Amino acid sequence: MPDETADPAVVAGLLTYQDAATVGAAARAVREGLAAHFAGVPTRMLIVDVGSTDGTVALVREAFGGAADVIEVAPHRSAADLLDVPYHGIPGKARALRAVLSTALDLKARACIVFDGGVRTLTGEWVASLARPILDDQLDFVSPFFSRPPFEGALTKGLVYPVIRALYGVRLHQPAAAEFACSSGLAGHWLRTDLWERSGAQAGIDIWLTTAAAAGDFRVAEVPLGVRAHGTRGEEALDLGATLAQVVGALFADMERHARVWHRSQTRVPVRRLPSPAEAVRPAAAAVDADRLVEAFRLGYRELRDIWTFVLPPRTIVELKKALDQPAREFRLADDLWARIVYDFAIGYRMRAVARDHLLRSLVPLYSGWLASYAGQVRDASPEEGDRRVEALAEAFENQKAYLIARWRWPERLRIG
Amino acid sequence: MADEFNRALGLAGTRIVDSVGSFLPGALVFLSLLLVAFIVALLIRAGLRRGLTRLEFDRRAEGWGISASGLTPSGSAASLVASIAYWTVLILGLLLGLTALDAALPTQFAVSVLQYVPHLLAALVILVIGNLAARFLARAVLISAVNLGVQYARLFSVGVKWLVLIVAVAMALDHIGIGRTVLLLAFAITFGGVVLTIALAVGLGARDVVARALSRQLRAPTDDKLDHV
Repeated sequence: MPDETADPAVVAGLLTYQDAATVGAAARAVREGLAAHFAGVPTRMLIVDVGSTDGTVALVREAFGGAADVIEVAPHRSAADLLDVPYHGIPGKARALRAVLSTALDLKARACIVFDGGVRTLTGEWVASLARPILDDQLDFVSPFFSRPPFEGALTKGLVYPVIRALYGVRLHQPAAAEFACSSGLAGHWLRTDLWERSGAQAGIDIWLTTAAAAGDFRVAEVPLGVRAHGTRGEEALDLGATLAQVVGALFADMERHARVWHRSQTRVPVRRLPSPAEAVRPAAAAVDADRLVEAFRLGYRELRDIWTFVLPPRTIVELKKALDQPAREFRLADDLWARIVYDFAIGYRMRAVARDHLLRSLVPLYSGWLASYAGQVRDASPEEGDRRVEALAEAFENQKAYLIARWRWPERLRIG
Repeated sequence: MADEFNRALGLAGTRIVDSVGSFLPGALVFLSLLLVAFIVALLIRAGLRRGLTRLEFDRRAEGWGISASGLTPSGSAASLVASIAYWTVLILGLLLGLTALDAALPTQFAVSVLQYVPHLLAALVILVIGNLAARFLARAVLISAVNLGVQYARLFSVGVKWLVLIVAVAMALDHIGIGRTVLLLAFAITFGGVVLTIALAVGLGARDVVARALSRQLRAPTDDKLDHV
């Protein structure tokens, strides 16, 4: 029996918000995981609720009331949280994460794991898979890799992952994942940065923590955890434009912040792909209406081209025009072209060429075009071929990094060309 | 006879000298004020041009939807702002100078114009803000409508833009007190007309589009359920 008064080796934080349907199973899975895989090691579980009104907290108290190893943490809340709906569905998430990390440091924990109380497929295995590398292999950051159908997480596969990989040389496939484990050293590093107070932190914190770890020379790893299914909240309440504006806006804001780091970064940061007892389950693929996506792209080209010309050079506009005439089933957007478009939008965001929210939302038709192209390429492909397609796209982003740096340094010079 | 003529001539000469003597200081002050205003205007124009160019005002103005093409030879928004400031200072200098001349009519004119200047400036500010708001909202509507798949997105965007512009112009004219009653009527008719036109356009012309958009919302297509992140 572990000593409950000793400093815990592992602290697991469970973030909850309106998760009455899932929180019971999720909390039990975490606690059982800690008990089963860290027997003899002091552990704590932190329950961090950000203002549920559906009885989430009462359910947790009912299940674990009085347990010495379960601590309830109440993060500071802001009135503005009620107005913002972040894509991940947890208002004030940055404050909640900060509370978890601060408490873990106060408890002198060697490893801190974070979970989302809305996840239905959370198992005790996840606890071990994420925390063991921190304790046993002295790693600093362990990110999960979930099995997802080809079109699920398309924004991550087609934009967030390739950009982060190109900028920092870090191959973390799901950099915006809500679950992660970190060492006390990395937690301290995060808490010392100013990213918690920055505008957009409540939505972009997951990405920022990953990039802060990537930019800070920490030892990172990725561990397969199987399938992640979560309840309804967040992204489903927002339209694609709002989701894209939040995610891509957070990424572009981070590019501004770490410009000096990624301008110099040319090396590939090793990311250990750890084995996991989780089976490589491939969930059923969701359908994508390619005709509708291509139609959205064509409508965007017709109506938003004037806005795009503020950030895209004429050569790119001409290439987009050429793509218009392709039939929906054969619609293709070259990887290089998509990479340059994303980079040009990042520069437009930095230069404030157009109001930032307008600029980000005007990216939606282009993203639809890319998604139609990607869907056409992986629709009948095996999961491995689908993964290879994503890797090929990420390589295109790496190849175009010189273009990004050149335009970032001399945006006016390249504006005309 | 000769003495009387000489006296009259002397008196006339004295009056002319007196008049010139009393007018000359005012004229000198007028010319000095004009010269100072000219120099200040030149300095302000040069300073604004340099400062705005350094701030990349032209590019930012384009981003805000402000285009100066056709208004200045270079099509530069920075030059336009600098020119407006230049002429404003010059005209203010001229009006101030007129008051120094101590002539009844020009002075009265200058004072009444100077009293009117704050209203004009306020109206100008209303117009500029209205123009910026119109362009911003038009762009926001255009992007949102395109992302919703509305084929006639530009129609909505242009409608919003003109609605805001009409309101801004009406407010500006009301502020400077031009034809209040006529303006109120004209505004009500125009505004009502624009709303009616849009209602008819949507109700008759774009009925199918609205129906399709609603059915799309109700149908909740498969790719809308995708978890993109």
